[in-house]
Amino acid sequence: MLLPAVLAVGIFAIIPLIGMFALSLTDFHLIKKWDQDIGFHNFVKLYNNKRFIASVEVMLLLSVFGVFFQVVMGTLIAVGLEKIIPRWRFMRGIFVVPFVVPAVAVALIWLSLLTPTLSPINDFFELFNITVPPFLTTQYGAITAIVIADTWASYPFVMLLILAALQGISSDLDEAAALDGATKIQIFFKITLPLLIPALLMVALFRFIETLKHFPLIYIMTKGGPGRSTQATNYFAYIQTFQNSNVSYGAAIAVFLFLFAAIISFFVARANARINDA
Amino acid sequence: MQLKNPVKNLFRATAVGVATLLAMPTQAAEEINVVLFSMSYTQGLAKLADDFEAKTGIKANIEVVGQDVFENRITLTFTGKTDDLDVVHTPVIQLQRWVAADWLQPMTKSVEGMDTKDDILAGPLDAYKVNGEQWALPFFAEAGMMAYRKDLLAEAGYETPPATWEEVLEAAAAIKKDGVAGAAMRVAPGQGFNMFVFPMIMRAYGGKFFANYPDDLTPAINSPESLKGLEVYSSLMNDYGPPGIGNFNYNEVAAAMQTGQVAMIFDGTAVAAWTLDPEKSQYADKIDLAPIPTGPEGRSPAIAVHGLGIPAGAPNPELSFQFIEWATSEEVLTKIAINEAFADFTRASVASNEEVIAKYQSIHPKFLDLKVQMLGDAIGHYRPLLPQWPQLGAAIGENINAAINGLMSNEEALAAAEEEMIEILEE
Repeated sequence: MLLPAVLAVGIFAIIPLIGMFALSLTDFHLIKKWDQDIGFHNFVKLYNNKRFIASVEVMLLLSVFGVFFQVVMGTLIAVGLEKIIPRWRFMRGIFVVPFVVPAVAVALIWLSLLTPTLSPINDFFELFNITVPPFLTTQYGAITAIVIADTWASYPFVMLLILAALQGISSDLDEAAALDGATKIQIFFKITLPLLIPALLMVALFRFIETLKHFPLIYIMTKGGPGRSTQATNYFAYIQTFQNSNVSYGAAIAVFLFLFAAIISFFVARANARINDA
Repeated sequence: MQLKNPVKNLFRATAVGVATLLAMPTQAAEEINVVLFSMSYTQGLAKLADDFEAKTGIKANIEVVGQDVFENRITLTFTGKTDDLDVVHTPVIQLQRWVAADWLQPMTKSVEGMDTKDDILAGPLDAYKVNGEQWALPFFAEAGMMAYRKDLLAEAGYETPPATWEEVLEAAAAIKKDGVAGAAMRVAPGQGFNMFVFPMIMRAYGGKFFANYPDDLTPAINSPESLKGLEVYSSLMNDYGPPGIGNFNYNEVAAAMQTGQVAMIFDGTAVAAWTLDPEKSQYADKIDLAPIPTGPEGRSPAIAVHGLGIPAGAPNPELSFQFIEWATSEEVLTKIAINEAFADFTRASVASNEEVIAKYQSIHPKFLDLKVQMLGDAIGHYRPLLPQWPQLGAAIGENINAAINGLMSNEEALAAAEEEMIEILEE
């Protein structure tokens, strides 16, 4: 029964992964036609590459802030719809809409909204003589813009998983607390939130790994700019592989991203296990 | 590290095997597979696929994809050696890199044997010669052009468009007011974005990429001449450009002109299609075209050439060339020039076709003449024709963009660009 699944994982996940690792240990270059084994030299080069280190910093900023806002927003909407104003549950369908918009379209929507000459937001504030500062032309403004676009597109994923988790929490607990005189806010912080922590950890992990990959938002909204301010690590890998023809170096960056995601997953899984054991 | 090679080989064999399996159904004898990226010509060509089949009995599968998808797809196809493509869109800016990587096969003899070879514009045709071989036939040659608002310039006291970049700065200063910027150009970082337009100003002031291209490739962008060019570009964009210009690409430049938010734009010949069509442009009747301005060292309009090449692994190069000859023929280029907004054709006979002349004169009486003038003024190595250019152009473009957005000074940007050029060439 398991054989087809094992074969599929083997062919489509394990073999490419081994291949990528093997490639990262060479100096394979499309134009120079090098193809020698050079051990871990690409990884040493990465460690000493300021642009790579800067790309990791950009990636962490985008991931940490992106995941934080997505989790907060998704959780608040889920709890709001499920616990605070249940009669608005029908709104779930509307809140889910951004999740089904393809990433390229998300990027184009937010590029238009944040380009002053195209944006209805700017037109609106102009009515009151308020000038909205351009987001995409400053370093932190551009990072903020990508975080906003990613949050908009991805909070529904968090919301859906937290809604599912909330279904699993017995309403008896809330009712008992309410009988004891607890307010809704106290119930949320003292009962609901602690019970949601395993789900929150897992959803944050999923989103964190996903944010390591957000290429279309960067490619379409900023092209890695201004300057190189939004060249996150996977964008840097793309530049090395497709623009600079340095395939083995790009593979080394991909191996780094894989190991980074694997290590984060390991710690989150361990934390989750401890919470469940407690 | 001997143990690793079997693993590497296993991976490569698997990749090639999977790719071959995927490619197999498309390899029927009387079919030809063509991959192009989206432009008015390629969209027009895809609509004429049935004409090719009617003429030759060969079915042409013409796939038109976005430019970003195209580049990734082609790199994977070429490196995976899937051999499933017969004809590939070949931008001249990538030519040296593809030839160096052995991704194309030459078509020198086939081109020499063509009856209508002399009808092809010599500049674009020669742009596809590397190491004495012909690697593609051109279908598109675009040169720099300016579009401007006659009414806004007249209000500011200009009856004719500014002829020099200094005059552009003065006019932009006189025009700029609430809601209307003086000028806009691409600023987004990239060899195909800000590096398509910035060299127009840099070269006009005498700036150059190398000490003496192609004989002496010592990077020389960090010069007083390039600095003057960058100062003009920076001032034009930051002092007189629309808000948010630091991230503008061609779409935003076009939209700003179409909606009346800017008085002058400088880009490729596409400015005509963007601004003179009343369905796209709210101020079409108030817009006119002009040559790219000059500087102390003359005029250097941007130039971009696109053509069709034969991938190294194409199984039947004669069949591939038959398609390319048809797709770049007078008949097909004329049809596309009439059916689409496509005036960047590469055959002299199309430019003298009465129907084509009538169509483009009705849009703008001097458009075709202006295009020929700009193509004549452009230098073939406007962007240096080197295998490393995509990498060099990106590095320079990123530093230039950082300067425009205030992340570093103009001097620092040119110094960093030159330093990175040296590093890239020494690698």
